[in-house]
Amino acid sequence: MKALGTTLRAELVGAGGVVERNFYLTKRYIWWDLAWFFWTVANTLTIVFIAQGIEATGGDIDVNTVATSLLIGAVVWAYLGVLFEFLMETVAWERWEGTIEYTFMAPLSRAMHLAGQGVFAISYGLLRAVFLFTACFLFFDLSTPDANFLAAFIVLAIASISFIGIGVMTSVLPLISPEKGTQLGFVAQGTLLVVSGVYYPVEVLPTWMQWIAKFSPATYALEGAREAILDGAPLSAMWDEIWPLLIIGAVSIPLGLWVFSRGELYAKKHGKLKRSG
Amino acid sequence: MEHAVHISGLEKIFMVPEREAGLVAATKSLVRRQSREVRAVDGISFDIAPGEVVGFLGPNGAGKTTTLKMLSGLLYPTGGEARILGHAPSKREKAFLRRITLVMGNRNQLQWDLPALDSYELNRAIYRIPRADFTPMRDDLIELLDVGDLVRKPVRQLSLGERMKVEIVGALLHRPQVLFLDEPTIGLDVTMQKRIRSFVATYNERHGATVLLTSHYMADVQALCKRVVVIHHGRILFDGPLTGLADQFAAYKTIGVALADGHVDLDRYGEVLHRDGDWVTLRVPKAETSQLTARLLSEQSVLDLRIEDTPIEDVIELVFAQARSE
Repeated sequence: MKALGTTLRAELVGAGGVVERNFYLTKRYIWWDLAWFFWTVANTLTIVFIAQGIEATGGDIDVNTVATSLLIGAVVWAYLGVLFEFLMETVAWERWEGTIEYTFMAPLSRAMHLAGQGVFAISYGLLRAVFLFTACFLFFDLSTPDANFLAAFIVLAIASISFIGIGVMTSVLPLISPEKGTQLGFVAQGTLLVVSGVYYPVEVLPTWMQWIAKFSPATYALEGAREAILDGAPLSAMWDEIWPLLIIGAVSIPLGLWVFSRGELYAKKHGKLKRSG
Repeated sequence: MEHAVHISGLEKIFMVPEREAGLVAATKSLVRRQSREVRAVDGISFDIAPGEVVGFLGPNGAGKTTTLKMLSGLLYPTGGEARILGHAPSKREKAFLRRITLVMGNRNQLQWDLPALDSYELNRAIYRIPRADFTPMRDDLIELLDVGDLVRKPVRQLSLGERMKVEIVGALLHRPQVLFLDEPTIGLDVTMQKRIRSFVATYNERHGATVLLTSHYMADVQALCKRVVVIHHGRILFDGPLTGLADQFAAYKTIGVALADGHVDLDRYGEVLHRDGDWVTLRVPKAETSQLTARLLSEQSVLDLRIEDTPIEDVIELVFAQARSE
């Protein structure tokens, strides 16, 4: 039991090292990240302006509610983008930097290596999501008097477990195809959100897409966040969103690790780890 | 005594896609891709004793790096067996990974954007090096390689030689027992090469580490390795003492001679390679060297004379030339 504890501690220290390295790298490029953040804000504003555009062209809508709903969708999109980007970087960035062979040779279990990437991605992504939401919320002077922001934050955090599992599956793509694998990761991100009602209710989708939406963690993350922020729903009232997220998380994490291990095996058999030469 | 490195019938086969040039061939390859089997490593076997420093030589594409990657667990062999310190590299056991290192001259393990010290901290966490061991080892390596003022700069701002030195510090922090060094001095100036060579020798002496070194610079091999393994087209051509390489493959020696009369015809003593003023260089069969030298000394007015083995670079060239002709 003591040996297990020692091993677990050592693995966690290793994962902590990965988190620490990502912190250093992010800090190193913090001003560039800030510039990128402004792009994200601008992009989000263009989406939220749609609500005012509908009203201006004669649409009969509650602008405040529609704008907040769009804002939640845009923030979740941006958050998912950060998570997937960090996880794709597990392979793609390291290959570019030329460090990938050393990382894969390090005596750290792949689960802990990816956990380190995932924990940093969630922490950084959530922080960025909070800033993005606040900036746009203030910009449009939106009003959500009953909002339960803490519940929305917790739902997003729970959904992140599933997002990481799916992200780990997609991060294997650059291992299989060094040239085009990264782009395919963005396809996965887009597909996940299109079926999940990112800017619209899932009910407007064709039946087959609604069926797929049931398996997407983004569906429950978006529903939960909207219920919490627009209706002020407490966490206890969101069990219908939380239990599917827990189940998808429990399946997607081991599945993601398995998929990654198969990808790693393929890469080591076919010499795909190297950058070139 | 158990071998530090044991390789038996190790092989790696890649399927490499290939096609003719042109639009037609490119379109055809969309539906019917052709590939060719390349035997990068073709059933090689050798053992290395603990503490031994072995040179692993071969031309580009001979299979050196592929072998080192298989020994480090970065590539899975197609066949055969490799055991490093009793571990199968492909199993990726932590006890194995913590006892080896691989330094590749054209790759980097340190993050370019960070000072090397930050990357060393990551290695400390991953390799589970206790702080009490880490700090003295790091400082010792920094001192040995004289990189104290480099480790605080982002790696991207270092020159190639400086980067190689800080890379080596990072690769040895966990005090590995087996070092796979793949062209560690590539692209470095002579002074830097010498420094790294002497560092590897010191590390080997201090820690009894086993070293498998590939290098195109024969000075590295001559300074560090008593034994060499020569590989070509994935097969071993020679495995033995460095001195034995010349005995086996270089059938000639060179005699440099300065004569009082520089115009004497020396063709009857051997093949005249070149003349530089009074100094003439002859190539003679190795077995006849002493007899021809005695004749030269007795028949000619010799001012100076020097007998030399074929330079190791030329010997290696002869080995590869022989392999090509076979």
